[in-house]
Amino acid sequence: MAEAIQKKLQSELEKYQQLQKDVSKSMSARQKLEAQLTENNIVKEELGLLDSQNTVYKLIGPVLVKQDLDEAKATVSKRLEYINGEIQRYETLLKEMERKSEQHREVLSSLQQEYQRAQGQAVGKV
Amino acid sequence: MASLHDQMAATGKVKLSKDMPQGVERLKEEHRKVVKDCRSQIEHWKKVENDYESLQDRLRTLPDKLSYDIMVPFGPLAFMPGKLVHTNELTVLLGDNWFAKCSAKQADALVEHRKKHVKNTLDDLQKVMKNFQNRADFTDDLEKLTGDTGDFADIREEVINEEEVTKGKPRLALKPNSKPKQEYLLELEEDKEKKEGDEERTTGVLSEEELWARLDELERQEELQDERYRLDSTDTNGEDTTSSSEEEKEADGGSDVQVNGHQKENGWVPSSITSQMNGTNGSHPEDEEEEDCNEEAGNGLPTIYFSHTAEFKKVRINTGKNTTLKFSERNEQKAQAKRKKKSGKSNGHSPHESYKITSPADIYRVFVDLVNGEPIPRKSILKSRSRENSVCSDTSESSTADFEERRAAFGRSWSHDDATHSDTSDGITEEESPTGTSPRTNGRFEAFTGTVIEKDPLPCSIPHLTIAPPALPTIPERKLEEVGPEAPQEPPKRMSKFKATRLHQK
Repeated sequence: MAEAIQKKLQSELEKYQQLQKDVSKSMSARQKLEAQLTENNIVKEELGLLDSQNTVYKLIGPVLVKQDLDEAKATVSKRLEYINGEIQRYETLLKEMERKSEQHREVLSSLQQEYQRAQGQAVGKV
Repeated sequence: MASLHDQMAATGKVKLSKDMPQGVERLKEEHRKVVKDCRSQIEHWKKVENDYESLQDRLRTLPDKLSYDIMVPFGPLAFMPGKLVHTNELTVLLGDNWFAKCSAKQADALVEHRKKHVKNTLDDLQKVMKNFQNRADFTDDLEKLTGDTGDFADIREEVINEEEVTKGKPRLALKPNSKPKQEYLLELEEDKEKKEGDEERTTGVLSEEELWARLDELERQEELQDERYRLDSTDTNGEDTTSSSEEEKEADGGSDVQVNGHQKENGWVPSSITSQMNGTNGSHPEDEEEEDCNEEAGNGLPTIYFSHTAEFKKVRINTGKNTTLKFSERNEQKAQAKRKKKSGKSNGHSPHESYKITSPADIYRVFVDLVNGEPIPRKSILKSRSRENSVCSDTSESSTADFEERRAAFGRSWSHDDATHSDTSDGITEEESPTGTSPRTNGRFEAFTGTVIEKDPLPCSIPHLTIAPPALPTIPERKLEEVGPEAPQEPPKRMSKFKATRLHQK
C-alpha cells in the first residue's frame, strides 16, 4: 500500500518537474522576445531620424543588402508586430503551464499526506 | 510596526524569539542581493554611457581631416600601417542587422538618441536600488526595535473605555464600508476612471464619514492590540478589561455596595502584593498592570506603560441610593492608591487591611477621632450634599471634581513607583497617620473593626450626617461581612438610618 503510493508520488513528481522545466523555457524565450522588442523599437526610432539620402542596408548572412528607407521602416514595423504577437502567445502559454503546475502541486501534496499516513499505519502495524 | 508587534505578541514570545532573527536575516539577505544586483547593473550601464561619450568625441573630431594615418589591426595579433579615409562616411548599426550610411553628424544624433535610452535605464535602476536600500534599512530598524538593543522604548497607553472617545458625534460610517479603503485604492490606481469618478462624486460627503470609519477601525484595532497585550503581559485567567466586561461586572455587582465591597475584600488580599487576580475584579488587573509592568522586560522591549488618569466616568447615575456602576472603578483605584501609599508608609503593616473605603467620604468615616470613647468623624473637606453618597457621587459636579483631583493625585502617585504626594493626598495621609496608629497597633483587621463599630451607635451618627453624610450607614454593612457578632444588630439599624438620613435631609 505504501509502496504503491510511493510510486504514484514519484511519477507525479516527475511530471511536475517536467512542467517546471517547460515553464522556465517559455520564460526565457519570452525574455528574449522582450529584448528584441526593445531593440526594434530603437531601430524604428533611429530610422525615423534618418532621411532618404542615407542608404540603408540589411545584413543577410555575410552580405549587406541595400534597402529602401521606407521599405526598411515597413519591415521593421512588421517585425515589431510579429514580436508582439509572439509575446502574447507565450504569455498565454505560460499562464496555462502555471495553472497545470499548480494542479500538480496539489496532487503531490495530497499524495504526500497519504503516503505519510500509510507509513504511520505501517509503523503501527509493525 | 504595530501590526508586526501585534503579530509577535499574538503568536507567543518564545517561538518568535527564535524565528524572528532567522526571518529577519533572510529578509536582509534578499535585500542585499537585490541591492548588489542593482549596483552591478548600474555600473555596467555607466560604462556604456562613457563609451558613447568617447564615441561622440571621436565623431566630432573625425571629419576634421580628410584622412588619418593609423595602425590598422590585421587579424588578432598584428597591425599594419594604413590610412583612414572617407572620414565623414559612416555605416551605423541600427540594431537587429540593420545598417545605415550616414555622416558623422547624423551618427552623432543617433548616438545622442541611444544615450537617452541608457539614461532612462540607469534612472530606473537607481530607483530600484534606493527602494531596496530603504527596505533593508527598515528591516534593520525593525530588528533593533524588536531586540533589546537600541534606544527604542515602546510607550503604551492602555485605554480601556474606547466608547467614550466619540461622545455624541454621529457615527455615520460605522458600517464596514470599503470607502476608506477605496480612498487608498484611488491614490494608487489613478487610471481607473470608474473609481476616480466615485471619488469625485463623493469626496465632499465621504471625507467626514470615512474619517470616522477610519477612527473606528483604528480604535478597534487598538482595542484588539491592547487586549492581546494584556493577555500576554499579565498572568490572569479570564481577565477581560474591555469596557463591556466592566460594565457587566458592575451590573452584576449591581446596586449593592455590600457585595462590591465583599468582592473587593477578597480581591485585595492577594492582589495588592502578588499579581494574581480575581477574575471578578476586572479593574484590579489593570491597576496591577499599570503598577507592575514597568519592570516587565518580557516583551523584548523596554515598555513604558503610560496611563491617563483621566475620567472613567461614563454614565452619571443620578440616584439617591445605591447604584455604583462606573463610579466604583475610580473608587477602587483611589482606594488602591491609598492602600499603596499606606503600605509604603508603614512597612511592617500589612497592606491588606481593607477598610472598605471606596470614596473619600469613607475615609472620613473610617478614620475618626476617639473622643471620650465616642468616635467623632473629622470634618470632611467634601462639600456636603443632599444626595451625596459614597456610592453615587457621580451626580455632583464638585464632588466629581474633588474626586478627579484626588484620583489624579493618586494616579500620579502610583504611576511612578514611589509615592509622590500631592497636596490633597498629603492632607488625607496626615489625617490617617494619627488615627491610623491605633488601628495599626493592633495589626489585624478584626481589631480595627472593633473601633469602627464603636463609633457607630445610631444616635451618634445622626448629628454628623451633614459632615460625613449618609455613607455612614454603609460602614456597618461592610463590617457585617467581617465581624460576625455584629450582624444581627446592624441591618435594622441600617434601614432606620437611611430613613433617618432622608428624613433629616428633608
